[in-house]
Amino acid sequence: MKITKKRILATVAATLVLAMSLTACGGKKSSEYPTKGINVICPWGAGGGTDACLRAFCDAMGKDLGQTLTVDNITGGGGITGHQAIADAEADGYTIGMITFELSTYVPLGTSDLTWESYEPLCRVNTDAATVTVGTKWANDNGITDLASYIDYCKAHPGEVQMGGSSNASVWHIAGGYLMNATGIDIQMVTYQEGAAAAVKDAAGGFIQGVTVSLAEARSFIESGDLTCLGVMSDERNAAFPDVPTCLEQGFDVQYFTQRGMAVPKGIDPDVKARLEKACETAIAEESFVEFMNNNGQAISYLNAADYAAFLEQSATDVAAAMEAVGL
Amino acid sequence: MDFGMLLTSYAEVFTSVQVLLMTFIGALGGILLGAIPGMTATMGVALLVPFSFGMDLIPAIGLLLGIYCGGMYGGSISAILIHAPGTPSAAATVLDGYPMTKKGEAGKALSVAMFSSFCGGIIGALIMTFLSPLIADMAMNFGPGEMFMLAVFGLSVIISISGKSITKGLMSAFLGMFMCCVGLDPTNGIPRFMTVKQTGLLDGFQFIPALIGMFAVAEVIAGVERILTGKEHTASSNEKITSVLPDFKTIKQIWPNILSGSIIGTFIGAIPGAGGDIAVFVSYGASKSASKHPELYGTGIPQGVAATESANNGCSGGAMIPLLSLGVPGDAVTAVLLGAFIMKGITPGPMMYVSELHTVYKVFAALMLANLCMLIVGCLGVRFFAKIVSVEKTILYPIILVISLLGAFSINKSVFDIGVCVAFGVFGWLMNKYEFPLSPILLTLILGPMCEKNFVRFMNIKHGNIWAIGQSPIAMGFLIVAIGTIVFSIFNQRKINKREAEARANSGS
Repeated sequence: MKITKKRILATVAATLVLAMSLTACGGKKSSEYPTKGINVICPWGAGGGTDACLRAFCDAMGKDLGQTLTVDNITGGGGITGHQAIADAEADGYTIGMITFELSTYVPLGTSDLTWESYEPLCRVNTDAATVTVGTKWANDNGITDLASYIDYCKAHPGEVQMGGSSNASVWHIAGGYLMNATGIDIQMVTYQEGAAAAVKDAAGGFIQGVTVSLAEARSFIESGDLTCLGVMSDERNAAFPDVPTCLEQGFDVQYFTQRGMAVPKGIDPDVKARLEKACETAIAEESFVEFMNNNGQAISYLNAADYAAFLEQSATDVAAAMEAVGL
Repeated sequence: MDFGMLLTSYAEVFTSVQVLLMTFIGALGGILLGAIPGMTATMGVALLVPFSFGMDLIPAIGLLLGIYCGGMYGGSISAILIHAPGTPSAAATVLDGYPMTKKGEAGKALSVAMFSSFCGGIIGALIMTFLSPLIADMAMNFGPGEMFMLAVFGLSVIISISGKSITKGLMSAFLGMFMCCVGLDPTNGIPRFMTVKQTGLLDGFQFIPALIGMFAVAEVIAGVERILTGKEHTASSNEKITSVLPDFKTIKQIWPNILSGSIIGTFIGAIPGAGGDIAVFVSYGASKSASKHPELYGTGIPQGVAATESANNGCSGGAMIPLLSLGVPGDAVTAVLLGAFIMKGITPGPMMYVSELHTVYKVFAALMLANLCMLIVGCLGVRFFAKIVSVEKTILYPIILVISLLGAFSINKSVFDIGVCVAFGVFGWLMNKYEFPLSPILLTLILGPMCEKNFVRFMNIKHGNIWAIGQSPIAMGFLIVAIGTIVFSIFNQRKINKREAEARANSGS
């Protein structure tokens, strides 16, 4: 019997740890929001790009709000499960979440009814541009040194060049289609449901010719020389990679990026929302957050709530058009 | 290899009180979490990553590795004692671990599991320390074609884990394969056997709720049935646990299994996308094939437990190799660890061995330490854990049921998964009743998605030319081994059946 108690105790303890981390009991007592910890939903898995960015941002927001923000990864269904959980959460300000680029793809794909209008946006935190990154060995063998020679090669060998781009209908997959559209080349996009890391590894191993993923995700192999980034699909160079040129500089107006931002469920108290917006604004400039993002090669690109809403509205139409062009 | 730096790194890690304490706490927490079905090492690591923010890198990594190694062993505790693998990597431990408990050898099974886990972990850590650049190069040569053939090789083990009837084993396996088809298709996102409104099925049947259902919940249902029909085995364990470590005679029996299990575990763990859950079945199959008495596997022999437990802890060392040297996580836990490194401003990848060699060596040392801590906590716990089997069944079953459903829920915080768990419970109970083996379903649920994704990707890249796979020596190697395994297993099964028939004839006369 004693052991049963022990086992129950162990279970209770484990459950408590879990429960605490889910609801994050706050310490400070105050009548003003927030009086307890805030639960932050991440629609993507622990350890990924969104997760890393969100955790660092929550740390920074927590300093301003004086409460602990606990990240809760609710994953599955290409981010739908987590995005749905944010939209369905109680609008008391104690559950917020990060929404990502993929939100704009659900309606065109027909996988979910969620749009940006299912939320109250708080701010845009980060944008990461897609790239044209190829295996160094393959590039050397075929005389590819810059974006122009890459495009010439692709034109001479239509449908032969294979680029990896994370999972189906993910931002990097669509970016590949966008690149084809904008430059008139014909390349084959290979999907990697496991995520960008697997695609990058296959590109470095020579199984596919290149990837369209962000610099941060391909970083280690670019630094080791296995991969070469021919161009970033952004209007300015990445601060962490000052030597990598943009596509625009090379005469190709191809800009494509993912975006991540904070959002709350509809129907939130305006005062609570204003407090959260203020926390976002402070957090974005917080020293440790800036340092983390720079280390990680992720670009901070803040937009306040109103601008972010306008951006999301515009992006919904743009993404739908790009997806149609790619044939999704 | 810089031995001076290696030694100073080990010395620094083993003399730091903070690192020792954190790793110890990690191992303790890991074993407890691992022992509860549904609370996996992955979850433990993910939960504790935020707590480790405030710490220096090495204590934080020590804590996380402690949980990782502890969880790998912890999963076997519930697999052995209550027929409910605490983690997917412990799924094959059920095969021989639970029969040992039924024979009244729970303590021995636990000590064998612990000892094998420890040896597996240490061998994995040693291989990682001395061979990781080499193994990283090997991992780079694994493309879609090679991964597909690796999965095929994994599937070839089905026959050795089918139990009495190969036909029933294959039927189970095909059923498992079929279940893998439910959900969004991984390549093009087309919904299969579902509508997009069923968000719980978007990713198909969740593996862990299915695992908990088929083993833990099915066992509870079967137990209730036994109680109602008055057939409950009241095997109150009279086992005297004289030593928490296996005796010399047992170690002599199991060491070849430990050695092969550790090596298989390390190599499979080192391949990104393949982890402990696959390694344990391959190791079990290999150990059974190599044995002079394959008919004893599944009846509760320490060799079976040793083969699986050494493989899953060997995996932890193996999985660290692609994580550190390629920046590609080998399994779910290392994916979380990758996040922890990035948090600290270190990006694992090819450059890590150049610019952060000191840190790399310290991670090796921390993994070694984590295995030692696991052994210490495990030794202290064996006596207590073993008593669980003496608990009154009418009290034990409700507890198992509650913990199991909680575990199924907590993976994705999804109520739908509780339903999946219960449904698989009923299903598992029926399968057991009609003597269909569960392990083939499990193995196909693990390998099915890996098979499909890599096959489709390979066909995409090669424009539909399947014969192109002949150009890859690694893929062909796996294919040959797979065919060999199948042929050998069929002969082996015949031998087993013949011996059993003889044994029956002898006892009958």
